[in-house]
Amino acid sequence: MKKEPQNEWSGKSRGGASGYLIFVFIIRRAGLGAAYALLSLVALYFIPFAPRATASVWQFSRHIIKKGKFASALFVYRNFLNLGISLIDKTAASAGLDKKFTFEFDEPANVSEILAGNSGAVIIGAHFGNWEVGAPYFGKYGKQMRVVMMDAEYQSIKRVLQAQNRLDAFRPIPITDDSFSHIFEIRDSLERGEYVAMQGDRLTPNGKSREVLFMGKPALFPMGPFVLAARFGYPVIFYFAVRTGLRKYRFHFSLYEPQMRQSSVRQETDILNAYTAYLERVVAQSPEQWYNFYKFWL
Amino acid sequence: MIDAALIDKINNVLAEEFEVDIQKISPEAPLMDTLDLDSLDLVDMVVLIEHNFGFTVVAKDFVGIKSFNDFYHFINNRINEKGAPK
Repeated sequence: MKKEPQNEWSGKSRGGASGYLIFVFIIRRAGLGAAYALLSLVALYFIPFAPRATASVWQFSRHIIKKGKFASALFVYRNFLNLGISLIDKTAASAGLDKKFTFEFDEPANVSEILAGNSGAVIIGAHFGNWEVGAPYFGKYGKQMRVVMMDAEYQSIKRVLQAQNRLDAFRPIPITDDSFSHIFEIRDSLERGEYVAMQGDRLTPNGKSREVLFMGKPALFPMGPFVLAARFGYPVIFYFAVRTGLRKYRFHFSLYEPQMRQSSVRQETDILNAYTAYLERVVAQSPEQWYNFYKFWL
Repeated sequence: MIDAALIDKINNVLAEEFEVDIQKISPEAPLMDTLDLDSLDLVDMVVLIEHNFGFTVVAKDFVGIKSFNDFYHFINNRINEKGAPK
């Protein structure tokens, strides 16, 4: 496993809590349509004013999915627009407007069985699509979902939740630089039969990573989520929510089943390989919903 | 006084799991540096302790463990407290 990753993410996402709260206000006062209309302008603004993100989307379009220059320019705009729509939709869904959305499920029977059972489960997603829009759906199984995230990211979300008086609606497991407490929190949550959700596609500062051929080019993936999933021995489910139309989402689930044919392959590597293969398939179908806005590929 | 067999068992388990030369392990040697541990290796350490020594560890258990000697005492104390099998 490698240390000192070259495409390291800073642990912070662009876009402040204030901007987010403006959209919350508009959704409540003027509805989803007005929020989408404002977003169409905001997405344009981000093209010149978020040059690093723009460059990364451009590179993705040109070199990974091999679009031409004109198509890539449109792709950049659509990508930012899609990100904004996913933020608006998850806000609306979590504020109780989920009935305005249509959800379709690609949920195999083995996944339903685990989600409905008493066991905890590790759910690995990605910065792709809109996994949070499905959070209310997990509630139908009557279990708590704990989301593992960088502390800096949580502090930003916390401001939004505080402003909305919904702090108790979200129970994250923050990862801090100077503590290992998240490891124990993850284990304890799983033992209580809760779901623990992690993102499997983004490196953490100083975290171990592994190089994987992803969509035809080498990229680094974090080992943390996969080591945790392998060691604690709970079922591992890959989950992605993809927007398929206006207020329409499809949830994709896949239960990890060991594929190790060689004894030399460690289980975390096997889980990582299964995850990247599944992620590759769904990203290829909806590349404009890929939201890793930094130099992801080596 | 810690049973020599327990110390041997701990050293062997650590050397095998973290792929270090057992000769590098001594009571006064720094645990984290000698085993080259990071936060992910700590996951392995948690699982290793639970599987080999039969008790559950919590975050505060690791506070104050600097050397192998500290680690031997921690394992020994917890085994004696819980009456877990050696």
